Amino acid sequence: MAEKVSTDDNIRLDDLAPKVFRIAGVIGVAALGVAGVLGASAGDQLNQFLHSYLVAYMWALSIGLGALWWVTLQHLVNAKWSVVVRRIGELLAANMPLLAILALPIIVPMLMGNTSLYHWLDQAHVAHDEVLSHKKPYLNIGFFMVRAVFYFVFWAVLSRYFFKRSLKQDESGSPEFIARMNRVSAPGMIFFGITVTFAAFDFVMSTEAHWFSTIFGVYYFAGCVVSVHAVLALVLFYLQGQGRLKNSVSVHHYHDIGKMLFAFVVFWAYIGFSQYMLYWYANIPEETVFFKVRIGGDWFYLAWFLVIGHFVVPFFGLMSRHVKRSRFWLGFWAVWMLVAHYVDLYWIIMPTMHAERVSFGLVDITSLIGLASLLIAGTAYNARRVNLIPTKDPRLAKSLAFENY
Amino acid sequence: MTVATDLNPYQGRPSGDTAFARITNNVARIAEVPTPPKAWYIAFGIALILLAVFFGSIGWVFWTGIGAWGTQIPVAWAMPIVNFVFWVGIGHAGTLISAILYLFRQHWRTSINRFAEAMTIFAVMCAAIFPGIHIGRPWLPYWMFPIPNQMEVWPQFRSPLEWDVFAVGTYATVSILFWYMGMIPDLATFRDRSTSKIRRIAYGLFAMGWRGSSRQWHRYERAYLLLAALATPLVLSVHSVVSFDMATSQIPGWHTTIFPPYFVAGAVFGGFGMVVTLAVPARQFFGLKHIITLDHIEVMNKIILATGMLVGYSYAMEFFIAWYSASPWEIFTFYNRAFGPVWWIAWTTYICNVVFPQIFWWKKLRRNVWATFVVGVFVNVGMWFERFMIIPSSLTRDFLPSSWGYFLPNKIDYLTLGGSFGLFFTLFLLFCRYLPMVAMAEVKGIQPSAHAHPEEH
Amino acid sequence: MSDKQTDAKKSTGEAAKTEPDAPKDGAGTSKGGAGGTPLHGLIAEYETPGALLSASKKVRDAGFKNWDTYTPFPVHGIDGAMGIKPTVLPWIVLGAGLTGLATGILLQWWTNTYDYPYLTSGKPMWSLPAHVPVMFELMVLFSAITALVAMLALNGLPEYSHPLDLKKYFARATDDRFFLVIQASDPRFAEDETWKLLEGTHPTAVDRLEEDRVTPANMPRPLVFGLVLVVLGALVPFALIARARVSTSEKPRIHIIPDMDFQEKFKSQRMNPVFEDKRAMRPELEGTVAVGALEDDDHLYRGKLGDEWAREFPAQIPISDSTMKRGQQEFGVFCAPCHGQVGHGDGMVNERAVELAQGTWVPASDVTQEYLRKQPVGELFNTITHGIRNMPPYGPQISPEDRWAIVLYVRALQRSRGATIQDVPEADRGSLK
Repeated sequence: MAEKVSTDDNIRLDDLAPKVFRIAGVIGVAALGVAGVLGASAGDQLNQFLHSYLVAYMWALSIGLGALWWVTLQHLVNAKWSVVVRRIGELLAANMPLLAILALPIIVPMLMGNTSLYHWLDQAHVAHDEVLSHKKPYLNIGFFMVRAVFYFVFWAVLSRYFFKRSLKQDESGSPEFIARMNRVSAPGMIFFGITVTFAAFDFVMSTEAHWFSTIFGVYYFAGCVVSVHAVLALVLFYLQGQGRLKNSVSVHHYHDIGKMLFAFVVFWAYIGFSQYMLYWYANIPEETVFFKVRIGGDWFYLAWFLVIGHFVVPFFGLMSRHVKRSRFWLGFWAVWMLVAHYVDLYWIIMPTMHAERVSFGLVDITSLIGLASLLIAGTAYNARRVNLIPTKDPRLAKSLAFENY
Repeated sequence: MTVATDLNPYQGRPSGDTAFARITNNVARIAEVPTPPKAWYIAFGIALILLAVFFGSIGWVFWTGIGAWGTQIPVAWAMPIVNFVFWVGIGHAGTLISAILYLFRQHWRTSINRFAEAMTIFAVMCAAIFPGIHIGRPWLPYWMFPIPNQMEVWPQFRSPLEWDVFAVGTYATVSILFWYMGMIPDLATFRDRSTSKIRRIAYGLFAMGWRGSSRQWHRYERAYLLLAALATPLVLSVHSVVSFDMATSQIPGWHTTIFPPYFVAGAVFGGFGMVVTLAVPARQFFGLKHIITLDHIEVMNKIILATGMLVGYSYAMEFFIAWYSASPWEIFTFYNRAFGPVWWIAWTTYICNVVFPQIFWWKKLRRNVWATFVVGVFVNVGMWFERFMIIPSSLTRDFLPSSWGYFLPNKIDYLTLGGSFGLFFTLFLLFCRYLPMVAMAEVKGIQPSAHAHPEEH
Repeated sequence: MSDKQTDAKKSTGEAAKTEPDAPKDGAGTSKGGAGGTPLHGLIAEYETPGALLSASKKVRDAGFKNWDTYTPFPVHGIDGAMGIKPTVLPWIVLGAGLTGLATGILLQWWTNTYDYPYLTSGKPMWSLPAHVPVMFELMVLFSAITALVAMLALNGLPEYSHPLDLKKYFARATDDRFFLVIQASDPRFAEDETWKLLEGTHPTAVDRLEEDRVTPANMPRPLVFGLVLVVLGALVPFALIARARVSTSEKPRIHIIPDMDFQEKFKSQRMNPVFEDKRAMRPELEGTVAVGALEDDDHLYRGKLGDEWAREFPAQIPISDSTMKRGQQEFGVFCAPCHGQVGHGDGMVNERAVELAQGTWVPASDVTQEYLRKQPVGELFNTITHGIRNMPPYGPQISPEDRWAIVLYVRALQRSRGATIQDVPEADRGSLK
C-alpha cells in the first residue's frame, strides 16, 4: 500500500541522539541543580525558587502540550501536508512523562506544607478569607493532587499512544493504525481541552487565588500553540542543519508552519485583548486586581513589551510570505516568540511575588535553561531509535509533494 | 424519475461532454429555465407573505412606539437584540466557509461557498434592521455614524454599541465584496450563455467585461486570497464585538471574559446549522446532488459537532467560574439560569446545542440527510434560545431584587421574528433563481481534469 | 495571406472537422469583412488545461510579450508557464490597511478627545482598549475595498469591449475551453511564423482575430446616463445632512411620535386641577405616621437628653466589638472618602477638591482634633444626621444604629490619636512589635 517514498534521505538521528541527550541532559541537570541550591539558600521558604521554576515549567509544559494538541489535530482533520513533520510533533509530545516528573519540584513542596506559591494552601489564611473558604471544595491539596495526577496520566497516555501507534505503523505500514488514531483523536481532543483549561486554572490562575477569568484556559492554550509552532520550525532547522530530512521537508512545509505561527500570534492577541479589555472596561475591583498589579510598577513595561513584542512586531514581521519561506527569518521569529511567550508567563505569574519590581535573576535563568535543556534531552532520547518521518504513512507521498503558494 | 423531470426542470443529469461543461450546465440551468417549478413560486409566495408581516409589524412598532413589543424594564434589551445577534451569527458560517476554509485549503468548500456567502449577506441584512428599529427613533440612525451633523456632536467611540456599527457595517461591506468578487467569473459565464438582450446586459454589466484572461486571474486570485485573509480576523472580530455589547457591562451572565470566542464558536455553529438546513432541501430541489454531495454534508456535520462541543465548553466554563468566582451575584445568576423561572430557556439551549449534535458521532447519521436536516433545525432553535437565554433572561434578575421581573415576547415580537425569515427567504429565493448558486469556476478548478499536467506531444 | 482571407479559420487536421464545438466563423469576420480590418492577433483553442500549459511554455520561450491565455478557471501553474510576475496588489492593500488604521486612530482621537471631549463611565478621553475595535474594523474595511478596486484597476476592468467578443466560439472561454491569443502588436509577431508556432502547440483550432470595428467604442448613452443618476441619487442623503449642518430653521421641530414627547401624566411640582389645592404632589395627611417613622426616643434618634447633647450612648446600642466593627465598616463607606481612612481629613475627595482649588470647598475636618474629642457623643451623632458646613446630612442614608456605631468608631479613632504603648492592653503589646 504505502511504498517507501524517500529512500535517498537521512531520516535517522543515529549517533546524534545520544550526543544531544548527553550534552543537554548534563546542562539541564546542572542548571536545575544550581537553581535548586540558589533557591534553597535564599531562606525565603523557597518562595523565589518556586515562582521562577513555575514560570519556566509552564513554559516547557506549553511546548509539550502544544505538541500534543498539534499531533491530535493532525489526526483529527486527517492532515496531509504535515505528515513529514508529524513525527517531530510526536517526539515533542512524548515528553509528557518527563514533564510529569519535572512537575515534582512544584508538587513536592506543596505536599510538604510549603504555601509560598499557592496561598490557598495556608489553612489559617483560608479560614479568615471568605473567598478562599468558598473555593475550598475545589482549591484544596487533596483534590488538587487528584486533578494533577489525572492531567498528567491523561497527557502521558495520549501522547505515548500516538507515538507508539505511529511507530508501529512505521513497521507494518497498515493504514488501520491511521484510522484508529483518527478515531481516538476526537475524544482525545475533548479531554485535552478540558485538562488544559483546568491545568491552567490550577497551576497558574490559582497563584492569584482570588482572581478568576473564564477565558484563562484559552489564553494559556494560545501560548501553547504559538510555542509549539516555533519549536517545530527550530527543530526542523536544526535537523536539516545536521543533514537530516534535507529532501523531505521543504520550504513549503516551513511556509505552513509560519502561517500557523502567524495565525496564533494573532489569536493570542485576540484572546489577551478580550480578557484585558473586558476587565478594564467593566472596572470591577475583584477582577481588575489582577491587572492593577500587572500594569503597575515595573510590570507596566513588561505589559507593553507583550503588546509590542508578542503581537505588533511579530505580526508585521511574519506577515510576508518571503519571511515564512526564509530559514533565517522564520527561525528568528520562532526564537523571538519563544522569548515573548516566556515573558508572557513571567508577567502572569511573577507579580504575585514581586508586586512592584521586576527582579529577573539567576534562579529564573537557571530554571529556564534547565527545563529547556531537559526537554531537548528528552526529545533526543525519544528520537534515538526512530525514523524522523512516518515512512509508511499512506499520505506521505502527498506530504512530500506538497506545494504551498 | 421522468415524472419528476417533467415537473422540475432542475432534475436529471446535466448535459455536456466534459466535466467542466456539465458543471456549467448543472448550475446555469437553474437560472436559465424560463419558468421555475411551482414549488419555487409557492415558497416565494410564502416568503413574500412573511416579508409583508415583517414590514407590517415594523410599521406598527413605528406607529405606536417600541412599547408595542414586550420589551419592558428591567428587560430593556429583548427580542430585537436577540434577533440581531441570532441573524448576525447565522452569517458567520458563510464567511467561515468562504474565507477560513479557503485558507486551510479545504477544497470541498467550493460546492457550498457561494450559497453560504449569499446566506451571510441576507442574514446580515436581517440583522442590521434590528438595532435600527430597536432604537425607537428610526428617523435618527444617522446619529450612529461619524457624520458632521447640525448638533456638532460626534458618536461615542468608547461605547461597544458604536463598535458594533463599525463591525457590522464593515462585515456587511466585506461580505458583499467577497461574494461579488467571487461571482464575477460566473456572471461572465452567465453573460456568455445568455440568449436574451436583457440578460446579456444585466449579467454583462456586473461581469465587468471579465474574459478569463490568465493575467487577470493572477491578480484576481491574489485579491481573493487577501480578502480571505482579511475576512478571517474580521469574522472573529464581528461576533466578538457583538459579545462586547454584553460583556463590557457589569451584569452577571453578561460580563465574562470567554464571551468573545464563545460567541464566535456559537455563531459558526449556528451558521452551519442554517447552511445544512438550507443545503439539504436545496440540493434536492435544484438538482445539485452531484455538486453538493453526501461527503459535503458529512464534513459540515463534523463541523457542527466540533463547534457544538466548543459551545458546550463555554457553557461549562461559565458555570464553573460563576461558582469559582465566589461572587454571590454570579452564583445566583447561574443558579437562576438553570433552576429559576427561566429554566426552560436554558435547558432548551443546552439540549438543542450540546445534546442533539452528539448523534453525529455516528457516520451513518452524519450521512443521513434527514438526520442532518432535523439537527440543523434544532441547532437553529437552540442558538436562538441561547441568545434569548443570555440577553433577556440575564436581565430579568440582576443585583436588586426589588427590580426583578420576567420577560416573555408578545405577539408583535413573534411577528417581527417570523417576518424577518420572510426577508431572508425572499432574498434567498431570488438569489437561487437569478444568480450562480454554485461557484462554477472554483468547482471546475478542483476537478481531476483541471489538474494540468503539461502534455508533451 | 490570401489563403487565410478566404478561409479565415484554419483547423488543424481531423480534430476540428469531427469536433462539433469547434470554432465556426465568428460574427467578426462576416460583419467587418476581412478586407480593411487590421489584425488584432492570432487565437488558438485547446481542449484541456494541460495542452494550454505546454503551449504557453512554448510561446513564452519564443520570447513573446503581448500575449495572454483565457481559461474558465485559474489554471494551476499557468503563472509560471506564462512567466507572469507577482502582482503589486498586496503592497497596495497593505498601504490601504495602514491608512485605515491611521484613519481609525485619527477619527476617534479627533472626535472624542479633541473636538468634542466628554467623560463617559469614568474612562479616559483617549482610551486605547476601547478604541482598538474601530481601528481594526476600519483597517479591514479600507484593505478589503482596496483589494477589490485595485484588482479591477490593475486588470483594466471594467472593459467594455474586446475583439474576442466577436468570436462566438470564444464564449466557451467561460465554460470549458482554453484559448491562447498572441497580439499583432508584439514585436516578434509575424503572421505566418506565429501561425506555425501556434499550430505546433497542438491546438484544436487556430484563427485570425481582427480588431473590433463593429462595437461602438463607448458605452451606450442611456446606460451611462442611468449609472450617473444612480451615483448622484446615492449622494442626496449626504448632501441633505451636510446642508442641515450649515443651516438654521425657525420652524418648531417635528414630533414624529407626539405621545412620547407629550405624555399624559402629572409631573412633580406642577399643577393638577383634580385637587383643591392644585398640587400634583400630595402631602401626607395630617396626624399620620408611617410605620417605623415614629422615632419617639430622643436619645436614640436625636442624640439628646432633654435639651442637652447626650454624653452616653443610648441603651439600645451595645458597646461591643461587633458594634465597633460595624462602625468601622460604615465609616469606611460613608466618611472615609472625605475624612480619610483614619479620620485625618485627608480622604480622596478632599485631596482632589483641594487640588482643584475651586474656592467653594471647605476642607473636611480632622475628626480627631481636640474640640471634637470634647464634643458629646450626641452632638457627633447630630452632625452625622444633619450634616454641617458643606457636609451633607447622612440621616436619610444611614440607620440610627449605624450612625451610633460610627460615633463609637470615631471615638476610637480619637483615642488612638497620640496614644502610647500604655494604652494597649498588656496582653496585646507583643503583637505590635
